[in-house]
Amino acid sequence: MFAKILIANRGEIAVRVIRACKEMGIRTVAVYSEADREALHVSLADESICVGPAPSALSYLNQEALLSAALNTGCEAVHPGYGFLSENPDFAALCEENGLKFIGPTAETIRRMGNKDEAKRQMALAGVPVIPGREDLKDLAQVQKAAQEIGFPLLIKARSGGGGRGIRRVNGLNELDHAYTEAAFEAQSCFSDPALYMEKLLTEVKHVEVQVLCDAKGNAVCFGERDCSMQRKHQKILEESPCAAISPAQRAKLMKYARQAVRAMRYEGVGTLEFLMDQQGSFYFMEMNTRLQVEHPVTELVSGIDLVKWQIRTAAGIPLPFKQKDIHTLGHAIECRINAEDPARGFAPGGGKVEILHIPGGPGVRFDTALYQGYKLPLHYDSLIAKLIVFAPTRREALRKMLAALCETVIEGVDHTALFHVDLMADPGFEDGSYTTDHLVKRGA
Amino acid sequence: MLEKSLFKNPNLRLEGMENAAAEERAPVFECPRCKMRQDLSSLAEGLFLCQRCGHHYKVGARQRLGMTLDEGSFREMSVRIASRDPLGFPGYQEKLEQARRQSGEREAVITGTGSILGQPCAFFAMEHQFMMGSMGAAVGEKLTRLFERARQRRLPVVGYVISGGARVQEGVLSLMQMAKVSGAVRLHADAGLLYIAVLCDATTGGVAASFAMQADVILAEPGALIGFAGPRVIEQTTRQKLPEGFQRAEFQLEQGFVGKIVRRQEQRELLGLLLRMHEGAGA
Repeated sequence: MFAKILIANRGEIAVRVIRACKEMGIRTVAVYSEADREALHVSLADESICVGPAPSALSYLNQEALLSAALNTGCEAVHPGYGFLSENPDFAALCEENGLKFIGPTAETIRRMGNKDEAKRQMALAGVPVIPGREDLKDLAQVQKAAQEIGFPLLIKARSGGGGRGIRRVNGLNELDHAYTEAAFEAQSCFSDPALYMEKLLTEVKHVEVQVLCDAKGNAVCFGERDCSMQRKHQKILEESPCAAISPAQRAKLMKYARQAVRAMRYEGVGTLEFLMDQQGSFYFMEMNTRLQVEHPVTELVSGIDLVKWQIRTAAGIPLPFKQKDIHTLGHAIECRINAEDPARGFAPGGGKVEILHIPGGPGVRFDTALYQGYKLPLHYDSLIAKLIVFAPTRREALRKMLAALCETVIEGVDHTALFHVDLMADPGFEDGSYTTDHLVKRGA
Repeated sequence: MLEKSLFKNPNLRLEGMENAAAEERAPVFECPRCKMRQDLSSLAEGLFLCQRCGHHYKVGARQRLGMTLDEGSFREMSVRIASRDPLGFPGYQEKLEQARRQSGEREAVITGTGSILGQPCAFFAMEHQFMMGSMGAAVGEKLTRLFERARQRRLPVVGYVISGGARVQEGVLSLMQMAKVSGAVRLHADAGLLYIAVLCDATTGGVAASFAMQADVILAEPGALIGFAGPRVIEQTTRQKLPEGFQRAEFQLEQGFVGKIVRRQEQRELLGLLLRMHEGAGA
């Protein structure tokens, strides 16, 4: 086991990791930017090192500064949290080169999963369904044939594209020629690469993801799924486990896919496979997150497993003492992300000083945050300030518990989204669990 | 901001090492002087003094850092330097591993920079649980680098010495550290910079005979054994009974080897004052 770990992150996730380390007897080194001198993770860690000025690029993303902090304090491993450098293969490689264990999969795995095409190819090879599509489109005749195989509506995308450019939606065969020519032209002019690919457009989908944990000996377990379909501008705002809209048979299939996938790539540590589920109940692999996720607590509550501790243990080479058959999820957990944003002003992010803080409590209520009374929120970073997670035997009871806990939450001095979640609890589309990723768009929020 | 000290340290042993911990550390501790039994954890929160007679217990290097330097000021140096077994000395590897387990340190000295009452300085503290703080090539190298860094950065050096002397398992390689460190101390002194040593129980052998006695200001903890050869060795060799308190700090004060005996409660204040008085030295 590592005697000392550097936590290359800030906010609630840094606090979460420090807590796990304290329980495990591991000494912790926190890093902070000049804007974060007063942050909670700085006070909680055994040692704290300033790694640069406020902008993330100069501090939390400053690989050299983080590495020298780790080496100078005698750390044996680096926990990247989520965001920042957590999915940066270069950083993972740099850590290994300097004799530090990067708590996550290998640089090579991160690199492969970071490349969306490559990830899909790998998954398809492992027998995991991916969104039907075709690469290497050469001429129009081939395009027409492929389009009919895939079915409409579909998307034509530039292979080297990004930021929404070089993408065309095609609703029927009659639109195909025009869209193809246009997309090829745009791809050439924007990305100097005319190569295109086609993929089925899935509408009214659920975002369902599977949590996996693997040790170095090839033992892989899944901890059930999470429904992360409640999204605003492609950002998850609420997650729950299990997903209310899938049957036990579908769940078994999903778990099978996930284990096939991680076994095939000899994955290590915690990871998440994201799938889209269409109205027919078919799953399509979307991408893999090779790190701990914001919403990991819902899985922890239904499985009773501390994912952060096991992430550290597996990184230290400790084999998992349980197998898939030993994992039984129980009850229902929901997480609401509380962001420092003002729902009344189009979710504009804001700062402020926390004048009054009251954290809800009671059985089955968990509140992950780095806030404390008197804390001044810096404006340079992500707006997530707290995660309220509840756990109850049934979804119905969990919803009631969440509503009560949200109403008890007091964060005075900062605009935040807790009341937005209060409204959401009473939303019929959410209550029956049928909501899809475009729910808030349809509702006009 | 919330002060670090607001949160108590749970002091849990590293996962998987709980059983090893139980053997190493008795929960109750008996004062070797007044024999009072006391809880070890209560000592760890203070200055490691006997609650009744004020006896100064041996203190680990990390604790020494904590009680001497300003909170959060310490930046450790040369973390990766550690002894190997250059001579293939029988049993040395195992001894090193045991010392690392027991002390939680990679070597018998911790070096780095920090500040005392706001006065910046280079700092070292030796670890008695690591083979009695003995000096091998790694300890010598770490200290040499510390004095060199201090000279480059125009910093005074404050060091807590506790050592059984040169490390026999490294033979002549450890003996030549005496000369090497002494050289670095001399260059530091020639640059007009201050070096304060605090001699703790026990400071003996090649360490006493080199950098421990080279300091500009030599302080000592009450009752510390300070000398080259230990009293038992001298008695056996000279076949004479030695006087009571021979080679203790108080004895060495009378003989002029030690400048002042300072109780642990007063050390930080005094070190801060000395550093302030010599501020700007060597400029």
